[in-house]
Amino acid sequence: MSWPILAVILLVPLCGAMLLLVVPGSRSGVIRVVLATVTAVTLGLSCVLLVAFLAVPSPASSRLTGTANGQSLTTVHSPVTFQFQEQVNWLHTSGSLSRFQPALNEGNNAFNQSGPPPINFSFHLGVDGLSVWLIALAALLFLVAAVVLSRKEPHLKAFAVLMLLSEVGVIGVLTSLDLVLFYFFWEAALIPLYFLMLGWGDERRGRAAIKFIVYTVAGSLFMLLAIIGVYFVTGTQTGVYTFDVPTLIAAQSFVQTIHSTTFSLFGHSFPALNPQDWLFLAFALAFAIKVPLVPFHSWLPDAYSSGRTPFLVFFAGIVSKLGAFGFIRYNLTLFPQASHFFQPLLMGLGVASILYGALAALAQSDIKRIVAYASISHLGFVVLGIFALNVDGLNGAIIQMVNHGVVIAALFICVGIFEARFATRRLADLGGLAKAMPVMAGVFLVVALAGLGMPLLNSFVGEFLILLGAFQVSPAWAVIASLGVILACWYMLRMYQGLTQGPLRAPGASNEESVVQLAVQRIGRVDLGPIELVALAPLVALMVVIGVYPAPIIRYSRFSAAQYVQAVDRGSLAKTSDRTVTPPGSSYRGVG
Amino acid sequence: MAEFSAFLSSAPPWFPLRFVPARDLLGVLPILIVGAGVVLVLLADLAVPRRGNRVLPALTGIVLLGALGTAVGQWVVNAAHPIVFNGAYANDRFALFADFVVLLTTLAVVVLSPGYLRRRGMEEGEYYMLLLASVAGMLVLDGALNLIVVFLGIELLSIPLYVLAGFARDDPLPQEAAMKYLLLGGFASGFLVYGMALIYGETGHTGLVAIHNVLTQTALRQQFDPLLLAGIALLAVGLAFKVSAAPFHWWTPDVYQGSPAVVTTFMSVATKVAAFAVFLRLFSATLAPYRSEWQVPIAVVAIISMVFGNVVAVAQTSVKRLLAYSGIAQAGYIMIGVAVGRPDGTQAALYYLAAYAFMNTGAFAVITILSRRGEDCDRFSQLSGLARRQPLLAGLMSVFMLSLAGFPLTVGFFGKFFLFSAAIHDGQLPLAIWGILTSAVSLIYYLRVILIMFSGVPEVEHEEDETLHLAGVTMDGSAVAARAPAATGGMPATAVILLAGVGTLVLGIFPALIYTLLQGISVVHG
Repeated sequence: MSWPILAVILLVPLCGAMLLLVVPGSRSGVIRVVLATVTAVTLGLSCVLLVAFLAVPSPASSRLTGTANGQSLTTVHSPVTFQFQEQVNWLHTSGSLSRFQPALNEGNNAFNQSGPPPINFSFHLGVDGLSVWLIALAALLFLVAAVVLSRKEPHLKAFAVLMLLSEVGVIGVLTSLDLVLFYFFWEAALIPLYFLMLGWGDERRGRAAIKFIVYTVAGSLFMLLAIIGVYFVTGTQTGVYTFDVPTLIAAQSFVQTIHSTTFSLFGHSFPALNPQDWLFLAFALAFAIKVPLVPFHSWLPDAYSSGRTPFLVFFAGIVSKLGAFGFIRYNLTLFPQASHFFQPLLMGLGVASILYGALAALAQSDIKRIVAYASISHLGFVVLGIFALNVDGLNGAIIQMVNHGVVIAALFICVGIFEARFATRRLADLGGLAKAMPVMAGVFLVVALAGLGMPLLNSFVGEFLILLGAFQVSPAWAVIASLGVILACWYMLRMYQGLTQGPLRAPGASNEESVVQLAVQRIGRVDLGPIELVALAPLVALMVVIGVYPAPIIRYSRFSAAQYVQAVDRGSLAKTSDRTVTPPGSSYRGVG
Repeated sequence: MAEFSAFLSSAPPWFPLRFVPARDLLGVLPILIVGAGVVLVLLADLAVPRRGNRVLPALTGIVLLGALGTAVGQWVVNAAHPIVFNGAYANDRFALFADFVVLLTTLAVVVLSPGYLRRRGMEEGEYYMLLLASVAGMLVLDGALNLIVVFLGIELLSIPLYVLAGFARDDPLPQEAAMKYLLLGGFASGFLVYGMALIYGETGHTGLVAIHNVLTQTALRQQFDPLLLAGIALLAVGLAFKVSAAPFHWWTPDVYQGSPAVVTTFMSVATKVAAFAVFLRLFSATLAPYRSEWQVPIAVVAIISMVFGNVVAVAQTSVKRLLAYSGIAQAGYIMIGVAVGRPDGTQAALYYLAAYAFMNTGAFAVITILSRRGEDCDRFSQLSGLARRQPLLAGLMSVFMLSLAGFPLTVGFFGKFFLFSAAIHDGQLPLAIWGILTSAVSLIYYLRVILIMFSGVPEVEHEEDETLHLAGVTMDGSAVAARAPAATGGMPATAVILLAGVGTLVLGIFPALIYTLLQGISVVHG
């Protein structure tokens, strides 16, 4: 593609936000139209990107030639290939310093021996078979959020501007191919999200917002240290000082990570952590908080239960995927050996998230919190799949990331619809709504079934592949994880039955007619309105399409999964079985 | 220059500068301009009426612009021979960079001052004179290449500030602040002089270059030299007082809170820049041979500052006090650059100082604008609901808070990025890790300020309430606030805040704008 499509995708929402700033705040109709148009154009562009990406299976590989420890290296190809790359210099320093030379350059640290290295980073954008799906998903969810955004939302203009800025941040995270740029977008995206949490939602939103920000930034700051660490560790070992992701990925083939030292505890000797392991843990912490994995999840229920529906559509739908994306893109490729070393830990955390999320969802009485905990459980599957470190698991994880985005967005829209009509989120207060709103009950059934992993709906495909991958590593983990699927049936159907079956009731309504009347008074209707239908339709359609005929998406994402497995297998001497890379378009038929 | 020499030698015999080489005078031209400005403003104060005139601030501004212009000229032309006055002063690019930051900050303060002083009812001509005198001290400090000159600069900087801190004479709090500042500042100067004396006694020199040369030789001999080390320690203590690094920070919160907001702006930014300039020059250049001795203590001071400043700031309910503790924490971050001591540490510290000038000047300027008759509005309750009353001001304040917290898109991010990468490159991982941990803590209070501005109802403004009652109008608090005229410092003050905000954002996206300047930095030394 001759024009910089990625830059355009980033600029469209940014320009849209600028455009909205000049629209007067009272013209809510205009604001909604502009917002919908901008997000629709972004979606259109990312679909063009997706199609163009899938149509061009000949990736431009990035090469690296360098010297390590005095020996010249052969040219290496990065196992992960990026397309549509665009690069503009950002900060370029020569590294040679002027006359300021402190007289003594002492110290016993290896870093001290040489002069300061140049600091270079660039606006480097690019996509691979992982991010291209997520960009399309993000663009779709922002459009859906724009559709469900109510005209009566207070401070509509501010909401719309912040939403578009979040979209820039999210897509920036997915497209950046420079570690500094990545961190830049990663943190910058938090600013509009923080204001969105602060300004709209229930009365506990202020506390939830600060909790969310402090949690995520605390993790991210360690990642910042690790980014600088990667720069220097790679630089001292290979002579290549760079923040450029493709170059760094290629350079990892030469980074020596040998667990040479040990320490002993209780009579056993354990390998001590080397720098690569610490860097891996710092990245993993940032991503684990973002996903979130279980010990780091406590910001999530507050944030999800206090937010507004349009915000939750993209916040739960795509922002949480960024953590999983980071695990695949950065942890697996930059620290292949550490990924194998910490595989049991991360798989364990994944399984813990699955079970904890599912059990906690069972115990909730607030329907928004049920969905919040369900989300933790589902994302545990994604992490389990990623750290199976084989093609099936990763493939399932990539698909499940898309699936989860679709399902969780739809679930939050449904929950939001109930909340708006009956002004309560308590499961016990509502019942029998299928009588009052039959269309809604039908849509909700599909969404809930997708959420519990029903065959022929999308989540089944992802969860099946993930369990398949996990089983190859450790049957025990896979068996325990599959308990999560059973529990999912329980909490999803408990919510579905509680809301739609039984006698029709709602708070403040004495009989069945008054339930309908109350809703009509609040919203103007009781069943699904056209706008809500338009918002839910593409999501439900995706659930069915991916569930019934997943072969195309599996085939393409499998290629990408294989690339990442190849990248991570550089760190393992033993595992070579999964290394077969099957390009799309060959005779391979995917699972499902 | 030849013409200038000819002019000097043809000057009448009573002209004191006759015997000074022209090159030396040109080298300290910014200081001379500011010094002449002090006299000029003092005389002009006699001639013009006090109340409501703009002559003095305009004059002060012109003087500062003149000094700034001269400094820019020196940056462009003089790189070859920066040492003047027989090795006592260097107008190298390091000093000039610090000069830029000091002069620009002071310009911002001067623009903010007239409106603020009028509102608080303390329009006195001495204010501008004292401000300029303090700036002269800072410029001396930036390029000081001799211990005596360092001390001269410190005192010239501090004495006007003692007066300025207590400028609100009819208020007990500023009086207390000024007294505390005077006493503790005096102590700090004592430490400094003692340290200088010890170093002089051990090396036999006061010139920094000569001291460096002696130390290079003694360091090779590996002798334990308690007097010299004590001298270095006392020097560090004295300077740590001036940059308000913990545990030498005790004066900071009270003085920052008690002083008039414009003075606090000046004090918190310009003083810190000048003091850090001399800190960096002394430690990363002059005392570099003894780096292995002073590095750990300096690093410990940095860590204590970051931890103490950030943790205590969480408990504050006054923005001025919060910014005082945040200033202590920021001093800790900049100390990372000092502790690293290598060129990249110095560069990172200078970058952070420039960043700090933008974001802290902006934050204090917002407080300045919000001030009312008789008091500064800096309590959290008074900020509550600011976003509804003045969205622009609240938005810009958010930018400054996010920048101080180190978020990307703002200049504070790259400040921290360069500091942490300098620390990691030097192998000082604990410094970077403490920096990270305390940055996370700092989010709590920086974001709380934003939270308060964007949520909460505007405070019922009691004074306006009374006047409205007198006029026979009764209404609830929010309506009063909506009616109350938006407190603005007028166009110039708003322009200052806007510029600071734009600078914070633009430099946050294009760090190269400052970083390329720093590439050309040279610290003249041995």
